[in-house]
Amino acid sequence: MAVMADTDERQVVPHRRSRWSRTDTLRGWAFLAPALALVVVFFIVPVGLVVYMSATDWTLFGGFTAMNFPQNFVDIASDPMFAKSLEFTLKYTVLTTVILMPLAFFLALLVQEARQWNKFLRTAILLPSALGIASSSLLFYALYSPQVGPLNPILDSLGLMDAQQTILGTADGALWATVVLVVWRFTGYFMLLTLIGVQAIPGDIYEAANLDGAGRLRKLRSITLPMLKPTIAMTMILSVTGSLLAFDQFFILTKGGPNNETLTTVLLIYKYAFETKKDLGMAAALSVVVLLALVIINVLQLRALGVGRSEEK
Amino acid sequence: MTRSTRLRTGVAALAAAGVFALTACSDGGDGTDPGGEPAEEVSGEGIDDGTTLTMWTRAPLERQAVNAVEAYNSSHENQVELEILPNDDVEGRVGAAAQTDALPDLLAGDVVRIPYWTSQGIFQDLSEQIQGLDTLDDLQVGHIDAGTIDGAQHTLPFVTDISVMVWNKDLYEQAGLDPEAGPTTIAEFTEHAEAVAGLGTDGVAGSYLSGQSGGALVFTLLPSIWASGDEPLSEDGTSANLDSGSALDVYEAYRGLAETENGLGAGSQQETGATWTAPFQEGNVGVMPYPYTAVTGLFETADFEIGVGPIPGVDGGESTFLGGDAIGISSDSENAPQAWNFMQWLMSEDAQQEVFADNNDTAANLAVLESGYEGADPRTAIANATVEHGRTPVAVHFNEAFNAAGSPWQLLIQDAVWGDASTISSHNEAINTILAQ
Amino acid sequence: MANLLTKRVVYYLLTALIAITFILPLAWAVVNSIAPNSATSQSDGYGLGNYGALAVYGEGLTTYLSNSVILTFVAVAACLIAATMAGYAIARFTFAGKGLMFVLVLSILMVPYAALLIPLVVWMSELGLDNTLVGVGFVLALFQLPFGTFVMRNAFESIPSELEEAAKLDGCGTFATFMRVMVPSVKAPMVTVGLFVFLNAWNDFMVPLYLLGPQNAPLPLAMVNMRQQVMGVIDYGLTTAGVVVLAIPAVILFLALQKYYIKGLISGAVKG
Repeated sequence: MAVMADTDERQVVPHRRSRWSRTDTLRGWAFLAPALALVVVFFIVPVGLVVYMSATDWTLFGGFTAMNFPQNFVDIASDPMFAKSLEFTLKYTVLTTVILMPLAFFLALLVQEARQWNKFLRTAILLPSALGIASSSLLFYALYSPQVGPLNPILDSLGLMDAQQTILGTADGALWATVVLVVWRFTGYFMLLTLIGVQAIPGDIYEAANLDGAGRLRKLRSITLPMLKPTIAMTMILSVTGSLLAFDQFFILTKGGPNNETLTTVLLIYKYAFETKKDLGMAAALSVVVLLALVIINVLQLRALGVGRSEEK
Repeated sequence: MTRSTRLRTGVAALAAAGVFALTACSDGGDGTDPGGEPAEEVSGEGIDDGTTLTMWTRAPLERQAVNAVEAYNSSHENQVELEILPNDDVEGRVGAAAQTDALPDLLAGDVVRIPYWTSQGIFQDLSEQIQGLDTLDDLQVGHIDAGTIDGAQHTLPFVTDISVMVWNKDLYEQAGLDPEAGPTTIAEFTEHAEAVAGLGTDGVAGSYLSGQSGGALVFTLLPSIWASGDEPLSEDGTSANLDSGSALDVYEAYRGLAETENGLGAGSQQETGATWTAPFQEGNVGVMPYPYTAVTGLFETADFEIGVGPIPGVDGGESTFLGGDAIGISSDSENAPQAWNFMQWLMSEDAQQEVFADNNDTAANLAVLESGYEGADPRTAIANATVEHGRTPVAVHFNEAFNAAGSPWQLLIQDAVWGDASTISSHNEAINTILAQ
Repeated sequence: MANLLTKRVVYYLLTALIAITFILPLAWAVVNSIAPNSATSQSDGYGLGNYGALAVYGEGLTTYLSNSVILTFVAVAACLIAATMAGYAIARFTFAGKGLMFVLVLSILMVPYAALLIPLVVWMSELGLDNTLVGVGFVLALFQLPFGTFVMRNAFESIPSELEEAAKLDGCGTFATFMRVMVPSVKAPMVTVGLFVFLNAWNDFMVPLYLLGPQNAPLPLAMVNMRQQVMGVIDYGLTTAGVVVLAIPAVILFLALQKYYIKGLISGAVKG
């Protein structure tokens, strides 16, 4: 899914015909039918429905009662939790991205040569990617627990906290604990994506640079980084998007606590729908807000990183 | 090839059906219908004709619910199929089922959520049947009141869970306190807790509080306010009075303990409720309000002696939180007479005896509560005696104001005990805003 | 020389440390799940007590595992069929609307999961798919469709068209050509897509949370449900045992198919 930014320049498919033939159209749509059915039923209709619901009074228990645009949006804007969740989500996104990206990049450079030891390293770093975010979160939930987790005594002996305290009990503790979990889970995946980008750089460019007597840093700055621009853009978008939409890890580790200090926007959608407001209209409205924000952020990122062209034919 | 074609046709048909259904759905919302009419006339003992009834309840009360269902199934033609929902998901599941008319016949829920459900038309009106119950006068009223809206009654008590004061007699003895005399005022409570804290034993604390769990906090703190004669909630449940004199005294007592070394167990401020019963269970807490359902199992297993008493008010008095689950017949049920058969059976003295009293659980029938525990532990009698002073807070938006994670009530306690106590009134206002909506 | 040796040693030590950091939490979970702990089903000595408790927890481990298997199977099958056929159509046929369709599929990436779940809560019951594993399987397939279609399109484009022409000359129809000639030659990318969908569906938590009840819960949701007890002590032994059970198939597949996975990603990404 992540990989399309890399392939701006596509070769012209050799057998393309000059004009559309009727049989091609028929066959083409026949082959597209299963995908089309999935997209219509589980994508287009729900997107339409979420927009519609965001303009209605639609409670969890009572269902649809009336149109009420723009009441749901007004309610959200006036809910102090909304601003709080936005602030936290942004903070978390910046923190994760700033840690995850350089780390993955560094590790990719470290293991890029195809040696046996490096293969082992890659596998080790990639291993957490096989786990889901939910099961990773459960694993770290146990790791962080004062009852069975090994971390409390360690942090205690380092003088960082009292052994009786819970790591997830303070706002900072909960934030960092989640960041550590996410970095553990995703570094391998981002490293792999970066690695693919690195290996796509033609070796003769480096050879030429060697002939010119360029040093390691120089090569990194003048060749690797510029050539990796599309890869960096892609991993960046993945990291930012993923963090902005964080849900599982917070639902499982903190439930937005302590005292709403780790409430993400997507968690707030869940709470609006099922916990506090029990209001699907408000939850849908917040979904629409998140959807629009994400589209805008992605477009801006693509522009800023100079990857303006999207896949189109 | 054929398989693939078939699948394609299937998916295409699905898509077509879906588009059709959407048009149906936009005008299909039928709104709320508080206290919908029962599908059939229900009366007396209902009908026992071998119908299969579906029933939902939540995980914390699984043991009691299973006892009830097994006893009913083994003595009746009707068979109840029980589904246990995770506590935090109950609201979502019930709501989703209400959307799609898929509620079970019998629905039991946390009693503090019942007023909201009733107001949303989840239950059938059972006023007539409930009034016709022989045992009505003996039933605890908290769970009936919770499901009463505009005089119409919808629910009966299912499982009763009460809060009591418990203390560790071994620690009391070590601290030079009388192990047989628990606290009878808030001042004594503080005094006892401070004495245990003063032992200076590693890991042992005077008391414990579940600072991040609104549910546990109402369960443990509201009884002290009731016992002092104050009303934390207005009668109609649309406003709160959580900054009354006695309320402030109760918070102040815990604040004092929080500021005392070993006064409140480490982790109290961060306790989300997930492990709040553990420290006492492990013998590390002197005295604290506690769920009675969690103590009975400890009488035999704990390696220390446990004292049980009612939760006191500021200057004496006693009360308890009549929690647990109330039960009603859902508005989607087409088997109301059969479902009523289960409900009226459960209210009978025999059923109350067999299902609850014989298992040391709290019966909802006061006559059974008085006479049915002869062979039981004497501490059960003490706990049962608190039921008549017990209360169940009734408010439509109770869950949002109190139980939900990060609720204003949770923030109020956080500030009152560990933070800036001058903000209590503004938190109380925030609770009012939610209750009044 | 000595300098070089020191550098080597430091390098190996440092990288070994990195490897250990990534492996350690998983190793800890395995150990913890069999280690003795009070308030778990393995209170003294090492043993499989927690796994025994997990087997009978709630609806029973077999129920949750078979729920997981069914929804994962539906997701993988639906996504592979839809993505392979769509990839072929986009790579090989020229017709009005295909560019639009491709962009539409890719635009799924732009729309967050979370935004679709609220309407799906309502919509699934209109489809008669509420609280069904098949329904959730379709939703999970949809979310992997962009990646799948993209990889499969690239895969088909890299196959020389002579192969296809030859099959057609032999009298094969379009669909027969597709099944007999084209599909076998894109096996590797299909494995990649399948693995990707498998990992995502097997591990997914959020979609089942919104759309499935406790009896139909796949294992991740069941494990989280168990964690949510109120007024009770969390059983960490059960939790870590559950994490290990969840991790085993995912890790095995992941390791066994690593080559495929990386190759597939590279061919999907780098191939021009």
